[in-house]
Amino acid sequence: MKIEGTHEINASRERVYECLTNAGVLKRCIPGCERLEKTGENVFATTIRTGVGSIKGVFNGTVRLEDMRPPEHYRLVVEGKGTPGFLKGTGDLDLEDHGKTTIVRYAGEVQVGGTIASVGQRMLQATARMMATQFFTALEAEAKTAKDAPPPKHGFFRTALRWFSGWLRRMFRSFA
Amino acid sequence: MITAQFDYATPNTIAEAVALLAQNRDDAKILAGGHSLIPAMKLRLAQPQLLIDLGRIKDLAYIREEGGKILIGAMTTHYQLESSAGLRDSCPLLTECAASIGDVQVRNKGTIGGSLAHSDPAADWPAAMLALRAEIVAIGSSGERVINADDFFVDLFTTALHPGEIIREIRIDRPNSSSRQAYQKVPHPASGFAVVGVAVSLQVSGDAICETASIGITGVGAKAFRATGVESALTGKPLDDEQTITLAAAHACDGIEANADLYASADYRVHLAQIHTARAIRRTISNGK
Repeated sequence: MKIEGTHEINASRERVYECLTNAGVLKRCIPGCERLEKTGENVFATTIRTGVGSIKGVFNGTVRLEDMRPPEHYRLVVEGKGTPGFLKGTGDLDLEDHGKTTIVRYAGEVQVGGTIASVGQRMLQATARMMATQFFTALEAEAKTAKDAPPPKHGFFRTALRWFSGWLRRMFRSFA
Repeated sequence: MITAQFDYATPNTIAEAVALLAQNRDDAKILAGGHSLIPAMKLRLAQPQLLIDLGRIKDLAYIREEGGKILIGAMTTHYQLESSAGLRDSCPLLTECAASIGDVQVRNKGTIGGSLAHSDPAADWPAAMLALRAEIVAIGSSGERVINADDFFVDLFTTALHPGEIIREIRIDRPNSSSRQAYQKVPHPASGFAVVGVAVSLQVSGDAICETASIGITGVGAKAFRATGVESALTGKPLDDEQTITLAAAHACDGIEANADLYASADYRVHLAQIHTARAIRRTISNGK
């Protein structure tokens, strides 16, 4: 399965690259990431508890960063295994300067196998897309905060944002 | 194909069900037909600790009219909706949609509330709910609230329901005599799920002018969506003009990232959506009401 997309992030390219290679930041941004530990030069071990709807699973795996050319490019090699199946993939991330913002382009090839692939095939791409959006939304919040400031609380932000947008919609509806 | 171990509860009232769910928020699932949940449990993709079966609650399966609205209980099965003579007359989109779901076994057990709460990206009901601008009544430990269909479907398998909330009822404005409706679907040959499903609900004047249009499309994106591009292209236009319909239907998937799987590529899905949107609009006219 091919996964690709672009996300515009409102921060400098150096800052975005720094976030994208920082284990602490990645751990907070990857949906459901419970553990991300450095086990070698640019190699991490990870545990991700994630799911959509009633389907949930725990994945254990490794993440390796290769071909690093700060602040414009790196390649991500991921391997994981869990209760619902396994996945293996590589992806290229390219960061492009765009005035005050940075455009992140990602393109990769992922192989998914096991139960999840045989019964959930029609859902895989949409799931990947949803998780990428969650990841980059969280990453943007991280990139915007100063380097030494305490990290943003994503759960709280998302809840507050959802509440506020819902409130706005209701207000507009009552005026209309 | 054997589920992991789980506890099973059969509350007799919705209040009991809400209380049980509140106590076991993280590891309980509501059983409301189970034609998606049970297969996932058998494959051990879903392993809830507790199943709360709504099947014993008496007053959750009904179709009735009250104050200009059609009220549908959350545990009403697809078959009950499909075979309701009253509905076929008052709101044919609902009976057409129900009749197109899965196979007869699924329709006999599956419920409208279960389908909406699960929010499968290829389920049929979400499209119909969007086209009919339905209201979804959810009940939780802090009481009831009403969610508009437009706000209900949030993302892939994600709804506006809070953890601990259960769908109790679906409310739809009773269509008037100038309402024209149709549901048009391309079913997946194996599963019966919608590769593309289009629900159309129009208000048509005596001289075949489309006054308002609301169109819901399922199966294409991560969630069902309103085809607002088609709606605005139809509004105020004559529906007996073939060109108008074709041009409007071309906007079916504007701004949508279409799904791709082994059966249908993204481009093919978009193409199907356009063709079937046009067919559904044409059928609303030939359907009468």
